[in-house]
Amino acid sequence: MKKILALLLALVMIFALAACGNKTEAAKPEAAKSDSDMDYVKANGKLVVGITDFEPMDYQDANGNWIGFDADLATAFANSLGVDVEFAEINWDNKILELNGKSIDCIWNGMTLTDEVTSAASCSNPYMRNAQVIVLPAAEADKYADVEAMKDLTFAVEAGSAGEAAVAELGYKATPVTAQADALLEVAAGTSDACVIDLLMAYAMVGEGTSYADLTYTFSLNEEQYGVAFRQGSDLAGALNTFFANQYNSGALDTLADTYGLSGSVIAQ
Amino acid sequence: MAILEVENLRKNFDKLEVLKGISFSLEKGEALSIIGSSGSGKTTLLRCMNFLEMPTSGRITVNTDAGAHVLFDGSRAKALTEAEIRKNRLHFGLVFQSFNLFPQYTALENVTLAPRLQAKTREDYKANSKAILKEINEHGLALLAQMGLADRADYHPHQLSGGQQQRVAIARALALEPDILCFDEPTSALDPELTGEVLKVIRGLAEKKTTMIIVTHEMGFAHDVSDNVIFMDGGVIVEQGPPSQVLENPREERTRQFLRGYGG
Amino acid sequence: MFEQQFPIVFHSLNVGFLQTLKLFAVTLIGALPLGLIISFGSMSRFKPLSALTRTFVWIIRGTPLMLQLIIIYYGPGLLGNNWWGGGETGRFLASAIAFVINYACYFSEIYRGGIQGVPQGQREAGEVLGLTKAQIFFRVTLLQMIKRIVPPMSNEIITLVKDTSLARIISLQEIIWAGQSFLKGSQGISGIIWPLFFTGLYYLAFSGLLTILLARLEKKLDYFH
Repeated sequence: MKKILALLLALVMIFALAACGNKTEAAKPEAAKSDSDMDYVKANGKLVVGITDFEPMDYQDANGNWIGFDADLATAFANSLGVDVEFAEINWDNKILELNGKSIDCIWNGMTLTDEVTSAASCSNPYMRNAQVIVLPAAEADKYADVEAMKDLTFAVEAGSAGEAAVAELGYKATPVTAQADALLEVAAGTSDACVIDLLMAYAMVGEGTSYADLTYTFSLNEEQYGVAFRQGSDLAGALNTFFANQYNSGALDTLADTYGLSGSVIAQ
Repeated sequence: MAILEVENLRKNFDKLEVLKGISFSLEKGEALSIIGSSGSGKTTLLRCMNFLEMPTSGRITVNTDAGAHVLFDGSRAKALTEAEIRKNRLHFGLVFQSFNLFPQYTALENVTLAPRLQAKTREDYKANSKAILKEINEHGLALLAQMGLADRADYHPHQLSGGQQQRVAIARALALEPDILCFDEPTSALDPELTGEVLKVIRGLAEKKTTMIIVTHEMGFAHDVSDNVIFMDGGVIVEQGPPSQVLENPREERTRQFLRGYGG
Repeated sequence: MFEQQFPIVFHSLNVGFLQTLKLFAVTLIGALPLGLIISFGSMSRFKPLSALTRTFVWIIRGTPLMLQLIIIYYGPGLLGNNWWGGGETGRFLASAIAFVINYACYFSEIYRGGIQGVPQGQREAGEVLGLTKAQIFFRVTLLQMIKRIVPPMSNEIITLVKDTSLARIISLQEIIWAGQSFLKGSQGISGIIWPLFFTGLYYLAFSGLLTILLARLEKKLDYFH
């Protein structure tokens, strides 16, 4: 019995190794066949859009369908390519991994165009404005009226976020956390003095009616812009720029922005 | 004809030769004691006969009413198959120093496990399974009663004293009715006050002319119970004969030296 | 406020917990037998096989499960061909495979301890009674082995309940993910902390139930020592 089991185990291992070997080899000719990401997506028949639950950009309606400014736009873009759209909720820390690992085809989630993103992925033109704001306990807000007054505070920032970059530039002491929500939690728990998050997020998460009623947000740091990220060298970025221009010219972008309460944030294409 | 003949049996563990050509024979109804210091090879000899160790060379033959069976012949090229080894083992019963009862079974289940499993291979098992199992159970109970354990049949080993456990182990070894019953230092793991009850049982078996090989350190017991005694040292038989010779008037200096260690 | 939020949160947590339970169940179903096979491999007298198996077990036990999840899910795509897809099914499958392999390796060591912990004398006692190898395994050693592995296995199983939360690194939407989503904002609720803490009750209830069941099993095997 032992011998049979031993043999079985050996076979499983050989199979596993062989499977790994085959996959990498099989992938090469396929990649050589066409370098076009557009062809890849069309061959799959769907555009997989990496998102997080982020109202009003990407969120679910009562029926569990993804809606929002970005979600609607992504659906329209996929339709213009003649493919279906599929939304995949991802861990924001792993967005570039998800993209390169081909589990998603683009990141379209109110993503700030930072150097980190633009250097690791091919990004579209910016389509929307946003800002980073400083959140701190409401009771303390008066004491910190400007950038200089805050230099002794410790900041919680989302690792890899635009907020982290802004704080680093100012030379603040910063603790990186995995999500913007965690950054808020740090401030609420008193483990950090303040945090930097997106203005859009702050709208939704700070103040009356939230667990963070005692927090408030102050002035904006540098203004920034949202874009969509594709795999490095992807031809979909160019296609999206064309799509954006058409949508902007037809007025559809502004209409969509009005629908989701984002009037005036759209960037001219 | 002797029931057991062992001829020039050798056993090597890698380069270490533990048995260096052992020859002896055993008559039906005979009780044979094997004595010697630890490391003399006596336990290995017992394990070779039960095929817990495979001898390196030599011959083991068992003569029963059904005829002569060569259990092992080192000059044969072909190794024994597992089934052959299992068949060979049934000529012997073995009682271990550390009892080795199956802890999850009651005393009775320990005794009847092997007979029950064996009965399943009988052709008439399906038709008569109830009657067969009943018979096995009754035989097991009778054996336990013979060991003075009639009231302990449903106890688990951990609920029994060492002496009681060893007596269950003897009943278990007897259940398959082996031609030769082997004991490997049956009282060495027992507290001194418990050895008596086990020795008494073995003595009773000897009186009933059970064919036995007993590896033991109990010189007085070996003297009383055995028909013959073998003294082993360094993997060879130094002296063999009736207890009156080997234990009382040993011819060999090595035997005398060994017995002096026991105050004999 | 709470009254309106609670049903939404409760539903989301239930959905997340179902995913947690699914991962837990699939891991157990896969890892319990696979672990036994691996333990036989690591005890094999065929040296190359036992060396290979032990190296494999060392690698899996010596690296974080989180890293294994990342490698298993993103690795194939990074090498050229993502066979998991971006959807929930693929993420669950990758999580399940990572968990099964990881836990099978831990289980294999427990099995090995259990098998080797049964005294050699038990096997020999079976042998001299003329039992076959299969009879010795099933009638003599198996139950003793089970008795030996139940306590360490219980620890691993309770650990597994909590470890399932690691799968959110590859965005498997288990209960912690569900609880956290209301911090970031989801379904019109945002910035509330209690759902995250509330998930603790699910874990406590489930691990409590398992503790009781496993203790009962342990007690059932108490009739022998």
